[in-house]
Amino acid sequence: MQTFSNANAGAIVLSLAERIIENRAYLSEIDGKIGDGDHGVNMAKGFGLAADRLKGKEITLSEALDTLGTVLMTEIGGSMGPLYGVMFTEFAEKLDGVPAIDAATYSRMLHAGLEGIQSIGSAKVGDKTLIDTLVPAVDAFDGATASGKPFDEALDALVAAAEAGRDSTLNLVARVGRASRLGERSLGVLDAGATSCAIILKELSLGARARLA
Amino acid sequence: MTSKTSSPRKGGASRSSAADTSDAIPLRYGDDPYVWACWLYYEDGMTQGEIADAMGVSRATVNSYLAEAREKGIVNISLEPARLASLTIAQELKRHFGLADCLVVPSDDNARPLIDRLGVAGARALQKLVKSGDTLAVSWGRTVMSVGEHADVHALQDTTVVQATGGTTAAFSYTPELCAASIARAISARCVGITAPAIVKSPELRQMLLDEPLLQEQFATLAQANRILFGISSLRPNSTIHTSGFFESVSLQHYLAAGAVGVVAGRFIDERGRPVAGSLDDRTVGISLDMLRRIGTRIAVAGGFDKVPALLAALRGGYVNVLITDAATGHGILRADGVTDLDTRISQRPKLAQTPSSYRTHVKKFLNNPNEVVEEMLDGVVRAHRDYIEPINGSHRALVAKSGPRPGKVGLVIGGGTGHEPCFLGYVGKGLADAVAVGNIFSSPPPDPIVQCAVAASGGEGVLFVYGNYAGDVMNFEMAAEIAEEKGIKVRTVLTTDDIASSPIEDREGRRGVAGNFFIFKIAGAACDRGLSLDACEAVTRKANLRTYTVGVALEPCSMPQTRRHNFEIGPDDMEIGMGIHGEPGVTRERIKPADDITDAIMDNIFKEMKATAGDRVAVLINSFGATPLMELYILYRRVAQRLAAKNIVIEANWIGHYCTSLDMVGASISILHLDQELTDLLHHPCETAFLRIN
Repeated sequence: MQTFSNANAGAIVLSLAERIIENRAYLSEIDGKIGDGDHGVNMAKGFGLAADRLKGKEITLSEALDTLGTVLMTEIGGSMGPLYGVMFTEFAEKLDGVPAIDAATYSRMLHAGLEGIQSIGSAKVGDKTLIDTLVPAVDAFDGATASGKPFDEALDALVAAAEAGRDSTLNLVARVGRASRLGERSLGVLDAGATSCAIILKELSLGARARLA
Repeated sequence: MTSKTSSPRKGGASRSSAADTSDAIPLRYGDDPYVWACWLYYEDGMTQGEIADAMGVSRATVNSYLAEAREKGIVNISLEPARLASLTIAQELKRHFGLADCLVVPSDDNARPLIDRLGVAGARALQKLVKSGDTLAVSWGRTVMSVGEHADVHALQDTTVVQATGGTTAAFSYTPELCAASIARAISARCVGITAPAIVKSPELRQMLLDEPLLQEQFATLAQANRILFGISSLRPNSTIHTSGFFESVSLQHYLAAGAVGVVAGRFIDERGRPVAGSLDDRTVGISLDMLRRIGTRIAVAGGFDKVPALLAALRGGYVNVLITDAATGHGILRADGVTDLDTRISQRPKLAQTPSSYRTHVKKFLNNPNEVVEEMLDGVVRAHRDYIEPINGSHRALVAKSGPRPGKVGLVIGGGTGHEPCFLGYVGKGLADAVAVGNIFSSPPPDPIVQCAVAASGGEGVLFVYGNYAGDVMNFEMAAEIAEEKGIKVRTVLTTDDIASSPIEDREGRRGVAGNFFIFKIAGAACDRGLSLDACEAVTRKANLRTYTVGVALEPCSMPQTRRHNFEIGPDDMEIGMGIHGEPGVTRERIKPADDITDAIMDNIFKEMKATAGDRVAVLINSFGATPLMELYILYRRVAQRLAAKNIVIEANWIGHYCTSLDMVGASISILHLDQELTDLLHHPCETAFLRIN
């Protein structure tokens, strides 16, 4: 059975932060079309603060996710801070104390993150939010493992579904959040939260996949 | 409107002759208006307005001709490859390190020494970045000196240049004194020195020097610096730092052994940008790294391949937010930080979808950097209202009332996103709120500043949180409340829900908090100031919330500073009754009606819920959403007063103006507080804040 080691995998969170910081301008730009235009700046600030605290430390993935979640939760504000904050702290909790992470643990982690978000936010699939990325990604991962696929192929399925989910927001009309006021005008534009969520899930899963043994 | 705008402007002779032929395209352009427009724009250097007159078309058409000509390939704008590369590297450095700005001089131009070219580039940066009234700290070094030699900035007023460190031996020609003097001359600034050695014999001597009034005055000037210009020294063996005489070689060896890779303003940093401790720290007279990092604009000028590790360390440490370097060094920094696919990444940059050009897509605003609007506003607020509020631990995101909190008094903490000014910070002061937590535009503050507010407001009798009922605010304030409780501060919360249009009466607890906040804060502040218990303060605040009724009407949307676009649309003849202060949906969207009809619709809604009978007293707030002028607010007030008078309801007090805005939204809200004796007493309780004073 494929697993990856929790120890020293904290570096995955650093590369996660790098991807978010790289995409700062892009995320703000798409957010600017139907939102405030500050998603990239706020995300880069939060992930950058967390990366500063993690750099040079050899820590477990669960510790690194906990640091990231705590920073987002306590220092960013708005709705995205608490939403992503709760997702990452839930991720961390499910991995805590697990030396070798297998597909079943990874699935528990994903579900805990999703449930955390749903416990404080009200969005459903189709509302043009990060949920449109997260829900199909989790489903795809579970579907792949249920059909007997190994961990690495399930991770590939997760990434593909996350990106497809992100792209699905292009043709959705926003129903919650600030963009909901734009109605039809929100058509044809990616949701910034769904886009950042796809970046996060992809980097996390690629990091896990590269460490599988 | 008269026909004035459509008649051709009377310009010079050449332009009026062009206007004469406006109905026909001159022969030489064929029948292609694109070529004609491009010729006038790029070759004749006419403005788009002048071209519109000459061609007899609108400016919007000229604008679209010029844009399409680029797409059709009629006009090709090309950049010299070396310049393009340096622009690319600058853009990548800016993005990768989150810099405010970056200037990279091309590497191919070897006609002049690098130090000169960096000096010219640094001079250009000063020209662009230094403004009248600035205090510019200046460190020392060959590159900094070169900037001084090349800079010549005119027309600045009241600028000050201050030395960032003490002085050194004059054995070299770029001492701190000479660098500061040179830059001061170049920008016509007053020059303040640090009249002590940069490094003294002992920590005791340093302390004695720092106690001298003259040095205290000089350090006070340094502490005011809003910009700093500095070089970055490498610690490689061939670096001038070893021979400059600034540091003793014995100490240098210690710092090297401890992992130092560079020097910023006389302080040592390791490869991650962390300070490296050593014996010189307590003997150095000059700016500290912490002080440096607090300066708004931090301009580093440095180049040369040996400086890559030092520059990278300084960038990682956040000491730099404006970088001036050369292309080879810039490329080296990016490579060293793991950006290996620079060239491919730039060529694969996603092309932005072309939006059709139209005459007006953006709202005009007074802006510098759109990402800094909140910080710049808060800087202004803190300066303007220093009599009432002050930052907590230096942070503008948590402000405490001067002479507000006191032992034995329940503390009142309010807060929320910005864009609603004077909500919320205008209501902080004696007799009203004790502290305010400030978020980004239309976005809740995170828990940290809220906790700081709770701590600052606490007088040992508990703290009351009062804020609008929004998902983001609830999440963040609830977390803050938990943290505050862990610190031993008792917290109670009242969510304001005065917007009666936001949800039906059965769901009163789900309603939003809007301009009626003003009344609820006032009552809560008075209760706290009178020394009531936390229970009593909470109870009366809840009562005020239950007896405050607000309905808003929007006529035009607001626009966000980052995008300068409307954040939703309202049709040209429409209005929306019940709209929230972030543009949340209201009850109805309908054709705009006369002011009295609108007021009647609002008052009918309020009377449906407010069980006031003849002889009852109320307070009235007519609030502008931002762009609606007082003239119209008084028209609304007039009708409100008529409707209340007809029911024999007495207006105890009224407020008319900007009390809870929504950026530049056109619209207004009407709030009524249904008073009883207790609320009336508390309403008249004295308070002293920036936007509400009652004696």
